[in-house]
Amino acid sequence: MGPSLLTSIARRLWMSLLVLIGVSMLIFCIARVIPGDPARIALGPNATQEQVDLLRERLHLNDPLPVQYAEFVRESLQGDLGMSLYTNRPVVTDIADFLPATLELVLFAGLLMVAIGVPLGVLAARHRDGWIDNLVRIIALAGVVTPTFVWAVFLMLGFAFFLEWFPVAGRLSEGMAAPPTITGLYTLDALITGRFATFADAVTHIVLPATALAMTGIGQTARLTRASVAETYDTPHVQMAEAYGYPERRIASRYALRPAMIPTLTILGLDFAAMLGNAFLVEAVFAWPGLARYGVQAILHKDLNAIVGTVLVISAFFLIVNILVDLTVAWLNPRIRLDSRRAAR
Amino acid sequence: MIDIRSGVSAIALAGATALLPLAAGAQTTLRLDEVAVGELDPAKATDYADSILMFNAYDTLLLPARGGGGMEPHLAVSWAVEGTTFTFTLREDVTFASGNPLTAADVVFSYERLIALGQGFSHLFRDHVASVEASGDHTVVFTLNQPYAPFLAGLTRLQVVDSATVLENLEDGDYGDLGDYGQAYLSANAAGTGAYAVTAHNPQEETTFARNEGYFLAFDGTAPDVVRLRYGLEGATVRTLIARGEHDIASQWLPPEIVRGIAEGDGTQLLFEGGMGGFYIKLNTQKPPLDDVHCRRALAHALNYASMLALVQVTDEVAQGAPANGPLPLGMLGSDPDLAFPSQDMERAQAELDACAHDAGDHTLEISWIAEVPIEERFALLMQSNFQQLGFGTEVVRVPWALFTERATSVDSTPHISQLFVNATTPDPDALIYNMYHSEVAGTWQSVEWLQNDEVDRLLEAGRAELDQEARAAIYRELSALLVDLQPTIYAYESQSVFPASDRVAAPSLADPTQSYLVNGMNFMFRHMSMQ
Repeated sequence: MGPSLLTSIARRLWMSLLVLIGVSMLIFCIARVIPGDPARIALGPNATQEQVDLLRERLHLNDPLPVQYAEFVRESLQGDLGMSLYTNRPVVTDIADFLPATLELVLFAGLLMVAIGVPLGVLAARHRDGWIDNLVRIIALAGVVTPTFVWAVFLMLGFAFFLEWFPVAGRLSEGMAAPPTITGLYTLDALITGRFATFADAVTHIVLPATALAMTGIGQTARLTRASVAETYDTPHVQMAEAYGYPERRIASRYALRPAMIPTLTILGLDFAAMLGNAFLVEAVFAWPGLARYGVQAILHKDLNAIVGTVLVISAFFLIVNILVDLTVAWLNPRIRLDSRRAAR
Repeated sequence: MIDIRSGVSAIALAGATALLPLAAGAQTTLRLDEVAVGELDPAKATDYADSILMFNAYDTLLLPARGGGGMEPHLAVSWAVEGTTFTFTLREDVTFASGNPLTAADVVFSYERLIALGQGFSHLFRDHVASVEASGDHTVVFTLNQPYAPFLAGLTRLQVVDSATVLENLEDGDYGDLGDYGQAYLSANAAGTGAYAVTAHNPQEETTFARNEGYFLAFDGTAPDVVRLRYGLEGATVRTLIARGEHDIASQWLPPEIVRGIAEGDGTQLLFEGGMGGFYIKLNTQKPPLDDVHCRRALAHALNYASMLALVQVTDEVAQGAPANGPLPLGMLGSDPDLAFPSQDMERAQAELDACAHDAGDHTLEISWIAEVPIEERFALLMQSNFQQLGFGTEVVRVPWALFTERATSVDSTPHISQLFVNATTPDPDALIYNMYHSEVAGTWQSVEWLQNDEVDRLLEAGRAELDQEARAAIYRELSALLVDLQPTIYAYESQSVFPASDRVAAPSLADPTQSYLVNGMNFMFRHMSMQ
C-alpha cells in the first residue's frame, strides 16, 4: 500500500467524520420534531403530568436545542450515548447487544448476493437471449419486485412450516447455549471456540432470514452483472482472447468478469450497506434480535437517544462499506489507482 | 447431487446432540410471547409484558381474590385498618431468590424507591401516602393523607424488592448515596421473592425463568419448570411456531383473522381474560355539536353495536369483546347489571337529534382512530356510516398515538370522537374511571371527553373516601347511571383479551372466570399453569 493510497484513505476517513457530524446534527433535530412527548411515551399512558414533567427535566428536554446538542456531543465523546427510554438501558449497551445479530445477518445476505447473483449474471450474459438468460431474468425480476417481507413469509411457510427443513425463529434452538462472546456473531464465535454443533445450529437459523434479505440484492446483482459482462464480451480485448482460443472459463473470469465487476461492485456495496437498516422486516418475521428492529421501535417510541445512536451506527457502516468498495474498485482497476496518485501529486 | 433434506437433518442432529442432557431431565418449558420490550424493574413497569414479569418474579403484600371481590393476604398474613393507618403483618417464612429473608425494611425500601424514581405505578401512591415505616422486622405501617379506598387494590402494584441485593449493586446516579437506586441492576436482573427466578433477560428478545423451588407457596399441578417469554413475534411467526408445537401461548395483540386461523388448527385452544375494561368511544363534550347531551345521545343510539361486536368475533363462541352497559365492566365493584344494554335505534336517535340545539348538517364530526390499532379504522368507518344516516358530515382521521396524546391536551385539538381501549391497572373502579371523568384530570388521553360535571366529581371523590365496600358499590352504581345519562362516552363493548394457545398448557385463570384475577397480566402467573 503506497503513501498516496494511505493519504487517500485518510482523506476519506476525514470526510466520513464530517459526514457523521452532519448526520448527527440532522438526526438530532429530526428526532425532536417527530410528534409526541418522549417522556410521556416512555412513562406509559397512566403516568401523571407531574411524572412527565420530572422526566422531561431529568432528560434536559426543556433546554434549548443547541444546549441539548452540546450536552450530547460532550457525553458522546466519553462513549456515552445516553439512556434508551425504550429499553431503559444505556444505548451503547443496546447497540452492543443488537448490532452483532444484524451484522451477521447482513454478512450472510451479502455472501448470498455475491455467491448467487454474480454467477447468475455471468451465466445469463454468456447465453444472451437464450432460455437460460430468460430464466435468470425472471428470477432476477421476481427478486427485485417482490417485497422482502413477502419473501420472508414465503420462505418461512415453505421451508419452515411445510417442509420443516429450517427453524422458524431466533438465532439458536431452545436449550442451545450461545457461544462465548468474541465478535457477537454466533457462527463465527462458535467456529473460533470449536463448538461445531452450535455453529451448525446457528447456520440453520440464519439461512432463511439471510436468503429473504438477499433476494432483492441477488436480483439486482444478477441484472447488473449480466449487463456489464455482456458489454465486456463485446469489447476488443475479449474478442481477441476468444480469437486466440483461450478457454471459456479463463475468458469469463479473467478478461470479462474483472472489468465488468466495477459498476456491479459499486451498486452491490450500496445495497449491502443499506441492508443494515432495511433488515427490519426480516428481523421482525424471524424474531431476529437485531439493530434494525431496535431502530424502528426507537422511532415509534420516540426514543431520542436510541434514534440518534442507531442512525449514527448505520451511517458509519455505510461510510465504511463505501470506503472498502472504493478500495476494491481501485484494486480491480489500476487506472483508478493511477488517477488517485495523480490527484495526490 | 446434494440432498438438502439430508444435509439439514445432519445439521439438526448435530444441534440436537447438544440438547440431549436437557431432554433427559424432562423439563417442561412454557413458551409465550408479548410485544417488546419487557421492563424487568418493577418500579418502571407500565404495560402488559412488564406485568407478566412483575407478577412472576416478585410478590406483593396482598393479592386480589380470584374470581373478583376484595383482597387476600399474600406476603402479608393480615392487616388492620385504623382511620388512615394500615398496619400489615408479614409472613416470616419468605426469602428472596438471594436467600435473604423478607423483612418490613424491604417493603419500605421498595416503596421509597418507587416514589423516588417517579415512574411506573408510583402515581397510585404519590399523592395519597403520607409515610411508610417498619415497626419491627415483620410489621409495616402505611399512613395515608386522607381516607383512600383504592389503596389496598393499589398494593398489587407495589412489588417488594430485596433491598440488600439492590444496595450491593448500586451504580453511579442521581440519588446521592443510593447512586442509581439499583436501576441498572434491576433492569437486567430480578431481586424478588417470586415463584419464578429470572435466569436471562434481553428486553427485546426474551426473558427466561426457572422455578424458584424455595417459593413459600405450593405450585399448582405440573407448573412449568422453565418459561420463555419472547418479545415482538409477528403473527405469521407465532402461527407457524404453534403449528410446529414450538410455542404455547400467543399474545392478545394478534388480529382476529390470525387468532381464528390458529384456533382452527389441531391441538389448540383459546384462552381469555376480561372484566378489566372496555372499548370506549369518547365524545368531546366541549366541542359543538357534542356539547349538547342530546346530540351525544343521538350518536349513542345510532351506533350499530352488533356490527361492532361482529368485527371482533373470533369464533362462534369467542369474541374479543362482550356487550357493555356502562363505564364499568360487569363483575367489577360498582358495576350495575340492571342498566340497559344499548342497541341501535334510529328512531330514538332521530328524536334525540331533534332535541339537540345544533343542526346535524352544519357540523362535520372528526372521527379519529389510533394508527397503531388497525381495527379502529374499521370501527371508524362503521361510525361514519351510522352517523351519516343522521345527517352529520364525518371525517375519518388516522392519528398516531404520540400525536394523539398531544392533541388530547386542548379542547380545540381533541377530535370530536376518539376511540380508546382502557383497562384498570388495579382491581378497583377508581383506577378505571377517575382519570376519565373527574374535571381536574381533563386534558389527558384518558379524559378526552373533557367532562366538567360537579355531580360526577362529587361521586368520584365519594367513591375514593368511602371505605365500606357495599356503600362504595352503591356510589359507583349511581355514578354509572349518571354517566350513561350524560353520555360523554359511548360504551361500545367490554374488551376481552383472547390468547390463542396450544392445548399442551392448562391455564385455569385464563379459562375460568371464577379462577381469574381482575388485574392485567396477573392471570399469567406461571405457578397456576400446568403443562400437559
